Order: sequence, then structure tokens, then C-alpha cells
Amino acid sequence: MNFRKFHRKCACLADKVRSCVPQPPCHGHGHAHIAPLSESCRSGRLRICKITGDRKLCARMASLGVYPGEEAELLCPENGAQCLLKLQGTTLSLDSHTTKNILVTEI
Amino acid sequence: MRRPPAVMVAVVVHRQHVPLKNKQKRDNQPMTQTIHMALAGNPNAGKTTLFNTLTGSRQHVGNYPGITVDYKEGFFTHKNQEINLTDLPGTYSLTAYSVEEVVTRDYLVNEKPQVVINIIDASNLERNLYLTTQFLELGCPLVIALNMIDVAKDRGIAINPEKLAVLLGVPVAPIIARSGKGTDILIDQAVGQSGQQWQPRDISYGEDLDAAIMDMIALITEEKFLTGIYPPRFTAIKYLEHDDQMLKKGQQENSLTADILEEKVTQVSDHLLKTMDAYPEAIIADHRYGFIKSILRQGVQTQNFDTDRLYTSDKIDKVLTNRLLGPVFMCLVLFGLYQLTFSWSEIPVSWLESFFGWLGSQAETLLPDGPVKSMLISGVIHGMGGVLGFVPLIMFMFLGIAILEDSGYLARVAFMMDRIFRIFGLHGSSVMPFIISGGIAGGCAVPGVMATRTLRSPKERLATILTVPFMNCGAKVPVIALLIGAFFSENKAMYMFLFTLISWVVALLAAKFLRLTVLKGPATPFVMELPPYRFPTLQGLAIHTWERTWQYIKKAGTVILGISILLWAMMSYPELSAARKADFEQQRQLISVAVSPAILAESSSKSDAVSEEALTLRQKISLINRQESEQALRHSLAGKVGLTLEPISTLAGFEWRTNIALVGGFAAKEVIISTLGTAYSMGDVKADASDSLGQRLTTDPNWNKVVAVSALIFIMFYAPCFVTVVCIAKEAGHWGWSLFSISFNTIFAFLLATAVYQIGIRIG
Repeated sequence: MNFRKFHRKCACLADKVRSCVPQPPCHGHGHAHIAPLSESCRSGRLRICKITGDRKLCARMASLGVYPGEEAELLCPENGAQCLLKLQGTTLSLDSHTTKNILVTEI
Repeated sequence: MRRPPAVMVAVVVHRQHVPLKNKQKRDNQPMTQTIHMALAGNPNAGKTTLFNTLTGSRQHVGNYPGITVDYKEGFFTHKNQEINLTDLPGTYSLTAYSVEEVVTRDYLVNEKPQVVINIIDASNLERNLYLTTQFLELGCPLVIALNMIDVAKDRGIAINPEKLAVLLGVPVAPIIARSGKGTDILIDQAVGQSGQQWQPRDISYGEDLDAAIMDMIALITEEKFLTGIYPPRFTAIKYLEHDDQMLKKGQQENSLTADILEEKVTQVSDHLLKTMDAYPEAIIADHRYGFIKSILRQGVQTQNFDTDRLYTSDKIDKVLTNRLLGPVFMCLVLFGLYQLTFSWSEIPVSWLESFFGWLGSQAETLLPDGPVKSMLISGVIHGMGGVLGFVPLIMFMFLGIAILEDSGYLARVAFMMDRIFRIFGLHGSSVMPFIISGGIAGGCAVPGVMATRTLRSPKERLATILTVPFMNCGAKVPVIALLIGAFFSENKAMYMFLFTLISWVVALLAAKFLRLTVLKGPATPFVMELPPYRFPTLQGLAIHTWERTWQYIKKAGTVILGISILLWAMMSYPELSAARKADFEQQRQLISVAVSPAILAESSSKSDAVSEEALTLRQKISLINRQESEQALRHSLAGKVGLTLEPISTLAGFEWRTNIALVGGFAAKEVIISTLGTAYSMGDVKADASDSLGQRLTTDPNWNKVVAVSALIFIMFYAPCFVTVVCIAKEAGHWGWSLFSISFNTIFAFLLATAVYQIGIRIG
């Protein structure tokens, strides 16, 4: 194995290890820009802007009351990308795949 | 009505019939024709609570979504009108995303109930009305039960039911299902609606979609495409929503028309994606919410105080589901549950043990020798007593689970475990089947396997179905408790907790193995509604604990008793030949004649204070008796099975008598303990009849700590019981998966047990 191949393998392993540790980039408060819910790092109110991803997910989210224009409260963003979202009087637990596809803006 | 084959292949629906209330049976007046009603609504909206209130039944009600995965039927009488009520699984929409949604929709369109009672959580009106709009589109006669009106009031939500009824065009009755308040009016309204015809209602979805829907309706009507099952507009909308089951059904009904409709939908979808960057289902959902909002804003719902406030439940969640504190708290709660279960149940378990020991010694003294005595002592008292002796432990375990479930904490456990489950290729919704199956020791794999219906992905569902039997169900708990109590009595709760953790780890690793090999496939998203925290009611806890404990007692008194007697017969027959019996008798005679009559009489007495010579005689006769019993057991049918397996089973440390019990465990896991009781009472006459099974095992030379751990591992992971195997076949849709489960689990468990035993004896 030459050095380049060895280096590539090490980098690949490092990426894999890194991907095991959730490191969501924090956009902070006070910026009214649209970002995936998975990147929100603080509790607080937000508005749902768009649901992306597969069409079944959009429809499923709508049946649960998660649709563009709705206001919600992020309860537990500490769980990395997995979170608790409170809206319309109920609390939904969402996984990272789902939160990546919910675009929100802070209110 | 013709039923297309697709309807029948979709799901297997189980019906449970709940009998009439006794007081209602006394009614002698002539009754009119039975009205057929169905209860439908969002998960956790209170359908089963209302069902129980109306029918007087005791169906399981839990504080987490997805408790009802099949439909149940009950009967009751209202003002001399007999009513057949069906409790449908909770669903958020009528689009087939999960099995519950398919069950609900198929039931409505195939059985066509005369009235659908749509139960709505009044504190979450907007989201709940989303399903209502789809009932209106389906056209079923509808009555709205506005449940938890008291909770809505506490949250400052004021609802005008009369206005809602006028705007929706259906009767609305505010109720509190828990107390039964308002249910009389609700049923009056439902009876009134029962004569109505199915009349679909139209909701506008904007110019683009409305035009497409009209075109599709024209084609559907002309071709009579699925019109025997669904209203044409409903079919068109489900095509636009890309409903998998509808598309499949359409292809089976008329592939040509289905292709035209699919092409039309593709055109509309492409157009909407280009112009609005949205799929048709998003536009449809948007218009449905628009329709709902327009109704609510006409004075139907008013908020008396700030909607932004966080309720106590949310504040608790901020701590209990915290990334760091949450798992720590969860482990403490579960460990506390085991600690309390073992410490509280220790005294009543010892009482029952003493009682069955006393019963055995009484039978030994009072009954004449013979097969009836042997069957009563070895088959019934030791067999069933071993199972019933653990009733207090099982009851405390069930009480703990009921507290966690009714308080809403169990749903949080599922939320926290989701991330771990993902690593092993399972879905967050797999957590609940694992917990139901015995994730917190004491469940049952049968409802656990059925609870996998909430999973959407067939591969994730199958992986869950095949691994939930690894959990420590209520039948395994007594066996585990027995072996832990006998060999690791110094810290029972800790060992129980440890073995529960082992069951989780092994189940998850097995799931990962399945997902990497035979069940390879992508992961599906996990979304679950968390119920609010509630104080469990004493009545609810008592009912939940008792109904599960009673099931255990009933099983011990029926199935387990039957199997115990059968296994006793297998362990008793064929008997030793007369020549062999005579040989043993001769040996006893030879020893007896060698001593004086006084020593013989002293030896036969019950007294413990005997001379040295009498004691020696006693030991010699006991040794011959023991040899005779062992020979008899070896000669029996069960003994031969056990002995045949012994050359292999000794690799894991199991002798032939243990093999008999493990083979019996294929029928039901409780049988292991009863068979061990029988095998070790028949094969060991040295032990006193009042000795507990645990004491007999600890004194047996073939048992030690390493064998106990090896046996525990094998019992925890080998083939599921017969009922679970049948359930797996039914849920997986193929007997092949059941056979796979039996062979995979048994081989896996044996290899693991062998490894534990071989390493254990080498370490010493």
C-alpha cells in the first residue's frame, strides 16, 4: 500500500468517527434566516418554512400538523439532531432524518 | 360488493368480541335492529377509553400512541337500541402510510359502518380535524365526539360545539370519555345519524388540482374504477396523494385506467413542482388546513390566554429527555423498578413457596402411594406451584410497568432509545414492541410482535418481529428469578437488571446482523407524538396490574397445568420393568434384614434424632431409592429425549433432566420451571418434599454458577414459545420466518450458552 492510499484510508476512518459524534453548526439567535431544524441549537419559538425530502414525508408531516406557516416551539434541541417539537398543543419527537428536512426560521 | 384481492392481502385483522353489559342483558323489551358504529380518530385521542366506558369492557388503555393496532368489537344497549361498536386503531390520516391506517381505511370502506364516531382531542382541534376532513371526503355518516373538553378548558381553549356542528354539517358532542360525561348525548346523535346515506363532501384544492380531480372523476366514473369501494373523488385524491395501496389496488382492478390516472397525476405533479415547488399532497394538506382554519376562525375556537406557554409536561420533558440527564434518569428508574420488585415481592414469594412446600408434604403424608399421588405431587404441586409461586413478583413488575406506561414516561423511553436503535438498523417505533415484549422484564412477545404494525418499513418490521422474542417476557422472569435466587442470591435485583441489559444487547446485535444480511434496506424516519405526563389513577393501575397478573395465573391454571401433567406422564411412563423394580426391592430387603428390628423401626421413624446405625441405614435406603427414581426417569419417554440430547447439551453444561425442561419450554416458557420442578422432584428422592426447586438445584451436583449462567443465556434466547411462533407467521405473512426464528434463535442461543459454559469452567 502506498502512502497516498494509506492516507486516504485514515481520512476515511476519521470521517467515520467524526460522523458518529453529532456536531450541529449553531446559527444562534437573532438571525431570521431559514435553516434546517436539525441545525437549531437553542429552545424557542420558530416558524416552519418548508418541508423538503421525499413526498411521503411531506404528507406525513402535514397529517401531524407540521406544514409551512405553522409556528412551533423547540423543546429539546440538546439531543443533537433528534428533538422534541411542540406545536398545536402536542409534542412530537422527530429524528435526525426528519429534522434535516424541516426548514425553519426563528421568531 | 366485490372485494378485490388486494384488500385481503393487505393486513390480517383480528377481532375481539366484548360481551354485553350484564345490566343491559336484563332488559326484556323488544329491540330494534342493531346499529353498527365505528370509533375512529387520532392516536391517544381517547378512543379505547370511550369504548370501555360505553361497552363496559376493559380493553387496555395506555398513555402512549399505538396501543390499539387491530380493531375490537363491543356491544351495548342505549335506550333499548342495541349497538355494535368497533374501536379502530388511531390514525392521523386515511392515506395508507402504516398498517393501522390501512386497517382503519379498509374497515371503513369494506364494512361500511352506519355511523363513524370521530373522537377528537379538544385541546388539539386543528390537527384532529385534519382526519375529519378525510372522513367527510369519504362520505361516511359522521358524529364528532369532542373529547377532553376539560383539558382544553384548563389550557384556556374555549370551543363552540354548536357553531362547529353548523359549519361542518355534522353533529358535535362535547364529552369527557374518562368519566362518561356527555356520552348519552353523543350516542343519541350517533343513533340519529345512523339512517343517513354515505354522502361524500367536496373540499376545493385550488384551480390546478380541482381541474385534474374533475378529469379523473370523469374517467373513474366512466370506467367504474373502484367505485364499488371508494367514492370517485376520494380515489382521485388518493391517486394525487400517491397512496401506495390505492395505486396497487388500481393496477389490480384495471391496469389500463390505472395507467391513465397515474400519467395524469405525473403531469399534475410535474406542473406543480415547476410552478409551486410542491407535490400535490403538500397542496392538498395546505388546502385542508385552510378549510379547517376558516372554520375555527369563525368563532369555533377562542384562546383565552397565551398559547406560547409551556405546560408542566413540557417543563418535565426538558429535564427528563435531556441528552445527558435523560439516559441517567432512565437507567435509575429501570433499576429502581427491579429493586422494588424484588425487595417487595421477596416475602410473599417465600410465603407461597412455603405454602406449596407444605402442600407437597401433606400430599406425601396423606395420599396412598401410586400414580395419582405421583401426578399430584410431581405434576401438579411442584409443576404448577413453581409457576404460581412467582405471582407476587410478576404482579409488582406489572405494577411498575403500569406506572411507567400510564404516566407517559414509557413514550419518553422510546424517544431516548431511538438513536440507539438506529445504530442497529431498527426504527424508533421498534422500541415499543421491545418494551411490550419484556424490554422491562415482564411483558409478552405476542402483543409485542403485533405492536410492530406501527412500523412502515417491511424490513424494519420483520427485523423487529424476529428480535422481540429475545426480550425477557413474563414467562421467562420466574425462570430467571429462580436461577438468580438460587445461585446469585446476594444481589438479585442487580443480576436481574444485568440479564435484562444482556437481552437488550443481544437483541440489538441480532437485529444488526439481520439488517446487514437477510433484511438489508434503508432506514425510515421516526416521528412519534408524545402524550402528556399524567398522574396514573389508582383504578387504572389496579386494572392494568390485575388484568396482566390474572392472565399469568389463568395460563398457569390451564395451559401450564395441562402441559405439566403431560410432561409428568412422559416422565413417568413407560415404567421400569417388574424385574428391575424387584431388583431394587431386593437390595432394600437385603440391607434391612442385616440390621436389628429396633434399628429398622428407628430408621423408619420421622425423628431426626436417631442413632448412628439407623442414620446409616436411612442413607443406604435413600441411595437405593434415588437410584431407582433416576433409573425410572431415564427409562421414561421424556428421559429418553433428554438422554438423546445429552451428548450435545453437555457442551453447554446441561444434563438430561435440564434438557427435558428446555424441550418443554418450546410449548411455553413457564413450562421450564414446572418441568424442572417435576424432573428434580422425581429424580431426587433425597430432597425433602417441602424443599423449594431453588434449594434442590443448588444441592444438585450437576448445577453450579457457570451452568446457571449458561442455562439463563440459553433460556433467554432460544426458540420463542409456540404461541409467539404462530403470531410471527401471521404477522410476517409466511411460516418460513417462524421456522427461521425457531432455528436461528436456538442455534444462536446454544452457541452463546456453550461459549459461556466452556469459558466459565476454564476460568473456574
